[in-house]
Amino acid sequence: MEAEIYNSMSKRKVTIVDYGMGNIWSVISALNYLNVEVKVSDSPKEILLSETLLLPGVGSFRKAMDTLRRLNLDRAITDSVQDKQHKILGICLGMQLLGSGSTEDGETLGLNLFPAHVDKFSEEKLGTLKVPHTGFDQVVADADSKLFKGIKSDSDFYFVHSYRMLSDNLSGGKAECDYGERFLAAYEKDNVYATQFHPEKSQTNGLILLQNFMEI
Amino acid sequence: MLKKRLIFTLLYDQGDFMLSRNFRLQKVGDLSWLKNNYDFSHISYSIDELVVLDVSRGTRDLNMFTEALRILSEGCFVPIAAGGGVNSVDTAFKLLRSGADKIIVNTPLYDDSNLLRCLSEEFGQQCVVGSVDIKRGPENSYSCWSNSGQTEVTGNAAELLKKIFDKPIGEVYINSMDRDGTGQGLDLGLLDLLPQNVGKPVILAGGVGNADHLASGFNDERVDAVATANLFNFVGNGLRDARQSLISMGVVLPLWDIQMLEEHLGIGESRDSNID
Repeated sequence: MEAEIYNSMSKRKVTIVDYGMGNIWSVISALNYLNVEVKVSDSPKEILLSETLLLPGVGSFRKAMDTLRRLNLDRAITDSVQDKQHKILGICLGMQLLGSGSTEDGETLGLNLFPAHVDKFSEEKLGTLKVPHTGFDQVVADADSKLFKGIKSDSDFYFVHSYRMLSDNLSGGKAECDYGERFLAAYEKDNVYATQFHPEKSQTNGLILLQNFMEI
Repeated sequence: MLKKRLIFTLLYDQGDFMLSRNFRLQKVGDLSWLKNNYDFSHISYSIDELVVLDVSRGTRDLNMFTEALRILSEGCFVPIAAGGGVNSVDTAFKLLRSGADKIIVNTPLYDDSNLLRCLSEEFGQQCVVGSVDIKRGPENSYSCWSNSGQTEVTGNAAELLKKIFDKPIGEVYINSMDRDGTGQGLDLGLLDLLPQNVGKPVILAGGVGNADHLASGFNDERVDAVATANLFNFVGNGLRDARQSLISMGVVLPLWDIQMLEEHLGIGESRDSNID
């Protein structure tokens, strides 16, 4: 019992929002490696009370938003982040869901925690580049980024996505990747953090980024 | 710029890992053998993706396979694709919940468009990798084989591939059955079967025995990733050395700095003791 109390005091904690989409096992595995205590939850109450949230996800934007709404997790997330000022990291589709909306499968509104919209890569600009954008690609972040502290510019991160956000007219900290066009690879403002790539699949660079997020 | 990927493929058969030679399987060792010869929590810094295929020819034990997948994926921070006998959304879901990021399908490419559609609707196209086994026939003719290389698919391989690229899948993994496990080098002739300007990543496999073979694949612009399943040729530091030599040859692979991680996390002493 004593040991448990000790652990709960010393360990950093994160709650992964579980809405049934994507491989949460690999995120859990990366956080365990960093000695972070992980709770996986689909309870709006728990999410409202958690000081550190992680929103993972792969798949369809519309389907993900429908599921979040059905489970009443959309309100829980926005209340936790906006009213309680809890910090959140959205990964891949999770990042896109934090934005204002997406044109995937018809226009769908997002959680609107930052004002960027999700669209398909511009076919014109892609040329012969393949979609989905799959594999390790180089990311350049603002020099004062908290997420990228200690990570060299042009470091490799793992992407797999067909839709992207742009950083035009967006205030806050940004990181970009170039795939036919410069798109938003990561975002940070106040307590909202997001990465289009998968840090949990990006070896050393991703582990450092996750560690940075936990320490903010 | 987008980097090329070096993929290691593990062939799993009821608790053991196998070497395949022209699709005939030979048992190499179990999880503890693998742990001793390929410590994936470190080896993973030498690869960019891990593929794990259940190649059991008899009845597959999904629970055992997912358990092995969980163990393999722990401490392995690269994308993992898993497959072998995926015949339902439910099976795919179980693999994705056990450490897989992508699902590999082979036989359904030819006979189950409904499954492909369901998988892509449920998980997104990017989550589905189509694996195509190809055999060279007389006079450079090629044929596609399904069902673990046991059933020849009717039709011309190039035409079949064209149809496969149009299916709701995210990547295509093409494997030479003739070169499989021989260590004689990749069959670059397979690339001539690809449609013009394919819009999806291509993984080439079958025949890699050394770093030069890997380089031959990477140097072809039609190839996004090269995979090897040769458990014998890359034991110990084999993968790390092959990667080093590819990078020095100018192959554009992602760069990992293990030392930087250890300094950043302050875990140097405890985790780097058995790197060599």
